[in-house]
Amino acid sequence: MNLVLDNLTKEFGNFTAVDHLNLSMTNGVYGLLGVNGAGKTTLMRMLCTLLKPTGGKIYCDGRDIREIDQTYRGLLGYLPQDFGFYPEFTVRDYLLYISAIKGIRPAVAQKRTGELIERVGLAKAADKKMKKLSGGMKRRAGIAQAILNNPKILILDEPTAGLDPNERIRFRNLISELSEKRLVLLSTHIVPDVEYIANQILLMKDGAIVSQGTLSEILRSMPEKVWNCVVPQEAAHKLAQSCKVSNRKLIGRDAELRIISAEKPCETAVCAEPALEDVFLSYFGERGGSEHGEI
Amino acid sequence: MVRFELKKIISKPVSRIALLVQAAVLCIVCSIAIGNVRYVDENGDTIRGIAAARALREAKMQWSGYMTEELLAGVVEENARISRSDEYLSKDARENEKAYSKKQGFSDIRDLINRAFCGFREYDYYRIDSLTAAEMGSFYERRIDGLTEWLYSDEAVHHFSEAEKRYLIGRYQKLETPLYYEYFGGWEAALQDAPMIIMLTLLIAGFLVYGIFSDEMQLKADSVFFSAKLGRSKAVAAKIRAGFWLITAVYWITLLCYSAVVLTALGFEGAGCAIQLGSSNWKSFYSLSYLQDYLLTVLGGYLGSLFILTLSMLVSAGTHSGILAVTVPFILLFIPEFLRGISALSGILGLLPDQLLQMCTAVQLFNTYQLGSWVVGAAPVILAAYFLLTGMLFPALYRIYRKTEVK
Repeated sequence: MNLVLDNLTKEFGNFTAVDHLNLSMTNGVYGLLGVNGAGKTTLMRMLCTLLKPTGGKIYCDGRDIREIDQTYRGLLGYLPQDFGFYPEFTVRDYLLYISAIKGIRPAVAQKRTGELIERVGLAKAADKKMKKLSGGMKRRAGIAQAILNNPKILILDEPTAGLDPNERIRFRNLISELSEKRLVLLSTHIVPDVEYIANQILLMKDGAIVSQGTLSEILRSMPEKVWNCVVPQEAAHKLAQSCKVSNRKLIGRDAELRIISAEKPCETAVCAEPALEDVFLSYFGERGGSEHGEI
Repeated sequence: MVRFELKKIISKPVSRIALLVQAAVLCIVCSIAIGNVRYVDENGDTIRGIAAARALREAKMQWSGYMTEELLAGVVEENARISRSDEYLSKDARENEKAYSKKQGFSDIRDLINRAFCGFREYDYYRIDSLTAAEMGSFYERRIDGLTEWLYSDEAVHHFSEAEKRYLIGRYQKLETPLYYEYFGGWEAALQDAPMIIMLTLLIAGFLVYGIFSDEMQLKADSVFFSAKLGRSKAVAAKIRAGFWLITAVYWITLLCYSAVVLTALGFEGAGCAIQLGSSNWKSFYSLSYLQDYLLTVLGGYLGSLFILTLSMLVSAGTHSGILAVTVPFILLFIPEFLRGISALSGILGLLPDQLLQMCTAVQLFNTYQLGSWVVGAAPVILAAYFLLTGMLFPALYRIYRKTEVK
């Protein structure tokens, strides 16, 4: 499976959400990282044929997805960020309905629905109405609907948003399991999710991919360095105004800071190994004195 | 897929409330239709409902037969005989009611005589009292003469073209006479309240179908729906089919129940009688039996409901707003009512879809349309026009919804 984005652009009036994006993806997990408004959801909606690009094309195995239309959507599984459902449907009915609109034959749908209900841990809630499910259970129903048709391309938009740590870990493991022999595009702004399961990381900013590679490649490509230092609180406040601070921990009257900076920020600063969160901050973070404040 | 779409609709609380309201409306309209039948017995007491209908049927059946000069003369003489009775002349209201009781059997025929011998646009309840049996020979000619006189009067002379006048007079002349009379109270009562139940069904059904398309957006289920393999083809068609079957089922179940209850209670007799036997249909230029008028009314009502509710679904699909969609039936039903007083608009108003919901009233009106020398009444025009328009709405609905973008 090969997806190619050729000069893909989406404009909403004067605002360019996705800006002449070129990208090629094959099987594996792609982690799409970016702040809110970076264009991740718009990109995913174009990939799911929910939005028509203003310019450029998307090719699936060399064929324009808008031309192969239904055939392409047959390869697709999608869990949107705002996962909506039919509140009065039971989990089973919901999955059977989605099976129908995915073109799965009723007999196969019955079997597949039963299997997936077990697999995502919703066996006890199968006959409960969707509106009665907890947030985590709804997300599990969401992932179940996305993989009903055993998709070759699985697109997950912020799948772990709003989940408690247990649910998040469970979900990450499930996605990892599903990633075999398919292309998974996972969008999130929760950095550890990508760090743990993505084979390739895509950093998206202002509608463009600013960096792409494996975790180690991304870490190596970081344009700044990471520094650890312990300074008095007053000095810590001043440093936060001038540098990107990825962590601040109070120790008595002092503060331990983790700073992203090209230059050594203070005398006591010691160079440290970068983590993906530092890279995220390096690309997307603002300095404390900037308009958006410290991240 | 259609089954799931129907399940989506029926499982909504608002739909369940709408169906309960529909059941209540059906019961209320049936009881109004039956309760409106009134009979005054020989003691001057008024009874209503099924018992009244039975007594009325018995009384009217005594006058059944072709409305020949002899039968009409018999009515005039019997009316005169009762009008000379002590009961009729008494100043006691109860005694008057006893006299009225004796006139109920021929009250329909008496009403037609009044209409025939009054001016075309007039009605005098006591006109029969000043008529003689000998005058009844001109009963049917009076109807045609009255129309001709009116068409060339100042009131109507410029309203109709010569071709339209010829058409209307020709239709009057074609009415097969003498008319056959028998009790037709069941059909008359069913027709009288049919527009009410049809319109209420339409408004209530609007609450069932308004969300078929817009709910996907309201519930944010549109992303999954449109990214599914059949989300822009068969799934859209399934929604349209669900809407069609729901409208069809709600309409026909309601109308069949209404017809069965009212006609069983008030009688099926008179199905073959000409509609001109009914006082309000006397001037109608359509040659229809009561059964045909009833079928025209319910079929017209179905077509009108289908058109208006499909338009409502189109608004729902195009605007993604259920609120806008649910207002469509109200707008199409009530706006023409406000404009009804403007006579200059009568030609256009006669073609609006609300006319389909009250075909039994539409056949009473002198709405004609001319294309070259070809003249036709409004009823077939609106039936044909809305049949075509409704047929065009479905593909439009499909095309609009399948192109939806999720922003």
